[in-house]
Amino acid sequence: MSKYSLLSQSEHAKLRVITERGAAYGDNQMHAMTFPFEFRDIESNYPIFFGKEGESGQFYPLALFGFQREENLYLNGNHWDATYIPLMVKRNPFLIGFQQSPDVENGEKRPVVSINTESPRISETETEAKSEALFNDDGEPSEYLQKSMQNLQTIHRGHEQNKLFIAALLENDLLEGFNLDITLKDSSNNRLEGFYTINEEKLAALQPEVLGKFHEQGFLQAIYMAVASVSRVSALIAKKNASLD
Amino acid sequence: MSKQISRLVIVGGGTAGWLSAGVIAAEHAISQNANQEHGDQQDNHFQLTLIESPDIKTIGVGEGTWPSMRTTLNKMGLSETDFIRECTASFKQGTEFSGWTTGDNDNYTHPFTAPQSYNETNLAPHWQALNGRPRFDQAVSQQSALFADSRAPKQITTPEYAGTVNYGYHLDAGKFAEFLRKHCVEKLGVKHIKANVTAVNSAKNGDIASVTTDSSGDIDGDLFIDCSGFKALLLGEHYKIPLRSKKQFLFNDTALAVQVPYTNPDDPIASCTLSTAQTAGWIWDIGLPSRRGTGHVYSSAHNSQENATAELLRYIERTAGAQAAAAAEPRKINFDPGHRAEFWHKNCVAIGMSAGFIEPLEASALILVELSSNMIAEQLPANREMMDIVAKRFNDKFLYRWDRIIDFLKLHYILNRRHDQYWRDHLDPSTIPDSLQELIALWKYQGPWHRDTNHIDEMFPSASFQYVLYGMNFETEPSTTTRRSDQVGREAATALFQKNAKQRLELQAAMPTNRQLIEKINTYGLQKI
Repeated sequence: MSKYSLLSQSEHAKLRVITERGAAYGDNQMHAMTFPFEFRDIESNYPIFFGKEGESGQFYPLALFGFQREENLYLNGNHWDATYIPLMVKRNPFLIGFQQSPDVENGEKRPVVSINTESPRISETETEAKSEALFNDDGEPSEYLQKSMQNLQTIHRGHEQNKLFIAALLENDLLEGFNLDITLKDSSNNRLEGFYTINEEKLAALQPEVLGKFHEQGFLQAIYMAVASVSRVSALIAKKNASLD
Repeated sequence: MSKQISRLVIVGGGTAGWLSAGVIAAEHAISQNANQEHGDQQDNHFQLTLIESPDIKTIGVGEGTWPSMRTTLNKMGLSETDFIRECTASFKQGTEFSGWTTGDNDNYTHPFTAPQSYNETNLAPHWQALNGRPRFDQAVSQQSALFADSRAPKQITTPEYAGTVNYGYHLDAGKFAEFLRKHCVEKLGVKHIKANVTAVNSAKNGDIASVTTDSSGDIDGDLFIDCSGFKALLLGEHYKIPLRSKKQFLFNDTALAVQVPYTNPDDPIASCTLSTAQTAGWIWDIGLPSRRGTGHVYSSAHNSQENATAELLRYIERTAGAQAAAAAEPRKINFDPGHRAEFWHKNCVAIGMSAGFIEPLEASALILVELSSNMIAEQLPANREMMDIVAKRFNDKFLYRWDRIIDFLKLHYILNRRHDQYWRDHLDPSTIPDSLQELIALWKYQGPWHRDTNHIDEMFPSASFQYVLYGMNFETEPSTTTRRSDQVGREAATALFQKNAKQRLELQAAMPTNRQLIEKINTYGLQKI
């Protein structure tokens, strides 16, 4: 369930956020959005593909965790078996929103922090070992909350970066759809579809001017990180096979 | 050596003119003299000029397309997102016929997607054997599940020109011509001359050597394409190729057209062209995002203009309210249903209404423009000697196609059980082409399926005949022999009916409404992949 409300000290003073991992907290997700600035960490753990956002059809880069809905092969009980957890997973139960400041007409929209008060991560009674307080006793934001808010700011910049990144990829026809047929050790045939990847032929044929521009924009490294990450699929298949035991 | 065909001149700039220009220029690269493009061969002299009268308004009928328009637009290099936005287009998934069988609240649909598993199994005989016989389109088609709630054939995540189910478009014809013009001139290199043609100048061999214009002098050409509409300036007025009337089969010769606003801006946009039978004709209703386009097409021999207008206004009042009906000022269009005795004569070929026009029952106008211009693009004669051979093939093919259109349109009329004189006259065998009488006789014993088509590129697939025949409760006798294939098929058929019912629900749940999808396309656009 989701019910987001603006975070406020007066309303949410006593709330704690459970920080351990687990399916019960919604971590059993098949993939999560990612951003070029974290591709280096993502690439060393997960395959990076591209998907379409259901509401708008817009492309976004994602880290793949499993082969079917609600399958996260990195999740092992209450442990997330990777050296890096994507920001979009860590952000829960917070969300960055925007609010028009009431005193300035047509002013810039100001980022505000919302919290999903119906998230299973929210508790008032959980122990300190498994959870973090939002506010200190003196009413000031806790270190955890400050860090979470920084993450949200980073995510906000990431959304802007993704827009430019995707536009650059599409402009140069660098995305292509693919189907991945996987035969598991129980002999079952499985197909991963609906995702997109970097078209390496088109990438190899790019003119130096385009490559130079990508480099200036900081996208060149991201593109090659995404290309390299595809080899993580075999590790993911191995995890899937191991899960059949 | 015979003269090369490298200068094409299109006379007329409506939808037919610009669509033809686009289809031909998408296939044949136009010589870029001023701007020598990479790969443009030295000996490429191909030129395409379109002469458009600044004084003649386009008729602006033909607001429905077949699914083929997706391929046509895509091949021209147009974006579907731009097309939807700039032509205020929506998605057409078929036609819904109301009142055509008995006039007593009957209706059926002809969806664009073929029946369930049509390539492997003919469900029609199994459907006839079902108890309590459900509607044919609902039993065998998943697509018709989308019509009641005006749902779209695709989602915002579906790439351009792809669909979950098959679709064409409803569009604003005036905006469409303008949209095509811009692309033809700016992207494809078509030369646009705004002038009136004042004279047609003959060469010694009887070809058209040039046309004289009032403001741009003489325009020479090797092949002239007549897109001048009903006027048929070149093929009709100049060459006197007669019009063959088909009124003896299809009586409708008058249309009253009017645009109708939505009552609320978020009213549903229908997924089908709605076709509602009247006492001596029928009313079309085409939903665009911004408005509806409606009209009453009828037989002037069976109905007066006063009565036809009254019927149209009653329909508008019923579907859009009294205010819309009061504001409606229908525009009258007279036409002689039929086509030219030939379409390609000497070095002149007619496309669009100059070639022929018939009531818009199955949206045959734009598809004929697509088919004609595609054949010209594909078979563009290399030289003047070849042209007569191509012309003969073109004439044979399109005379055949017109006959098939007439058969198929007439089929919609000959299964009715209405009482009006017009509808009874349609049942008179003397008004039914022999070719259709033969088919109907045959279909009483063996229904249409794949084996039924003579040509590989028939205009109407056998599935279309099924939807109309069984939509109007036509009876095909059970087979007189025990067919082994049917015995094997019975269980499979039951499973297919169940599969279809399940897919209908899934499709309904997954597809947005047309209006939701169009709003999203306006906001985000569709992806190319």
